[in-house]
Amino acid sequence: MIPSDHFTRFYNEVFKFLEDQGEEHLEAYWLEISKNQEKHTLELFKEKGLKGMYEYWDHIRIEENCDMDLKLDDEKLELRMNVCPSLSKVLDNDAEPMKRYCDHCAGWIGPLIDKVDHHLVYDVIDRNKPQCVVKIFKDKEKAIEEEKNAKLLMGWPKKKK
Amino acid sequence: MKPILLENLYIKVNKNNLDQKLRYNDGGNVHMDFHGATNTTIEFIINKYGIDTMNDIFKKVGNDVYKDIKDHIKNGNIKMLAKHWQHFFDRENADYNISINDEEIILTVNRCTAYEHVRKLVGNVSPNFCDQTIKTNEALAEDTPYEIKTEILGEAACRQTIRKRA
Repeated sequence: MIPSDHFTRFYNEVFKFLEDQGEEHLEAYWLEISKNQEKHTLELFKEKGLKGMYEYWDHIRIEENCDMDLKLDDEKLELRMNVCPSLSKVLDNDAEPMKRYCDHCAGWIGPLIDKVDHHLVYDVIDRNKPQCVVKIFKDKEKAIEEEKNAKLLMGWPKKKK
Repeated sequence: MKPILLENLYIKVNKNNLDQKLRYNDGGNVHMDFHGATNTTIEFIINKYGIDTMNDIFKKVGNDVYKDIKDHIKNGNIKMLAKHWQHFFDRENADYNISINDEEIILTVNRCTAYEHVRKLVGNVSPNFCDQTIKTNEALAEDTPYEIKTEILGEAACRQTIRKRA
């Protein structure tokens, strides 16, 4: 068994293999993970919108030992990851970290948020530091405006324009 | 007092008789859903690239991610692997036991909670789910004086034995 605690280091090995095959291979995998995540998030997000997203990430915050602040208001959900356990483990690793490890997160979350007609702004800030800021808006124009403030804005496969 | 099985002179491992410092010594909460993502990944890679590619990735996990355990095995310290088993099977609340003597260490998993969690999550567990154990173990032992044999005893049950090569 690869312990669940070490999944991210296994993930990192998978990413390195797929990156060597080409960008479309990585994107196909992120979409597969996104589809897998739909099983326990899509209905929740559709039914409860931002509140459902808050519930999901609050559960993740606890279960994955994230140092993360969550803020919900009528217009948006904001996740401020102060210390990301996923990238932290990949960096604390005897195997080589994939340089674009952070990209997978927007890679699976983006398509899911598109499906529920909300708008994701994913600022990774710096791929070498385990921190990021994620904002999910109800309103598209507000998301576009927020994108201008991002230091390192992430995209994802088939991002809605 | 250590419970000793006199008939074969194995010592049952408990929390107090494996004094090893793990390279990855995770604490805090456990996110079992990651096993579901492992199952999805195994299916994805095998369907798209074939089983040899999946096995190569597990080999990298054994050789690179677990380099520290492998180095200990190379140097004859197989107790580090037993400590790794103990720490993470405890964290995942599995039903298991570890027996140890001078020649070999045997891990018997009666109920693998990773396998059971995936079955609960997705219904069908990949027929290759346990390859993560078999192939990672093989890589850990490769180029060392030891072999690791993984026997699947049934659904969610296995026996893993590390012993000196004949």
